[in-house]
Amino acid sequence: QTTGLVGLAVAENPHERLRILYTKILGVLQNIPKDAAYRKYTEQIVNERFDLVKKETDVQKLQDKLNSGQIEEVIVQAENELSLARKMVQWKPWEPLVEEPPSDQWRWPI
Amino acid sequence: TVRPKNEVEQKQLCAFGEYVAEILPKYIQQVQVTCFNELELLIHPDGIIPVLTFLRDHTNAQFKSLADLTAIDVPSRQYRFEIVYNLLSLRFNSRIRVKTYTDELTPVDSAVSVHKAANWYEREVWDMYGVFFANHPDLRRILTDYGFEGHPFRKDFPLSGYVEV
Repeated sequence: QTTGLVGLAVAENPHERLRILYTKILGVLQNIPKDAAYRKYTEQIVNERFDLVKKETDVQKLQDKLNSGQIEEVIVQAENELSLARKMVQWKPWEPLVEEPPSDQWRWPI
Repeated sequence: TVRPKNEVEQKQLCAFGEYVAEILPKYIQQVQVTCFNELELLIHPDGIIPVLTFLRDHTNAQFKSLADLTAIDVPSRQYRFEIVYNLLSLRFNSRIRVKTYTDELTPVDSAVSVHKAANWYEREVWDMYGVFFANHPDLRRILTDYGFEGHPFRKDFPLSGYVEV
């Protein structure tokens, strides 16, 4: 029983871990205004994956359905998404543009 | 011969560019797709760390690999240096370019907290152009000689330098 990837140990009970992570992500997303695009799209992705995890109990078939590499990689990705959501709450990237560039800044050729 | 145009990939990149621009309107000033199917995001310098962490961590955009970090010098502009980050996504096999601007005296946030690979690249940009990176763990010269004065890659630095060898 091995993941085949260096440094990633086999996860026992991946469904439980994914369930916890996805509920935490959805909880963090509640702190973002409802009309922010980040909240919309991330909720869509997380709900899709959460439904697949809830329906499919066999690990191999779940990996094939998610089509995103090993289950351990999916767990790592969910942890990354959770830390990103927490940082997004602080950065608030849905607000309008901070500052317009000077008019010749992005002109190419000069 | 001319490279055949790949319309499908162009459309996919346009769609992804609009997706990212919709999620991060605070920092992204412009999005463009070149004719060679290369996606470029033009960013305000305050948004380097948010945009790079988003591109690294988000599920739809796992750009875990920083392929390159460079700068270009256009002396006629108000913000003469343009910092360029090239990212690669191994999961989705696609590349993206993130560009920011700064002038000679304004520091820029270091990308080392997001990608460890940025360490020596930022040292090179500091050495060659003089762009200061705030929160860099160890910003010192990397390619020029020990007592070298000046920043060689700037456009106003002469080809054979100031010191006779």
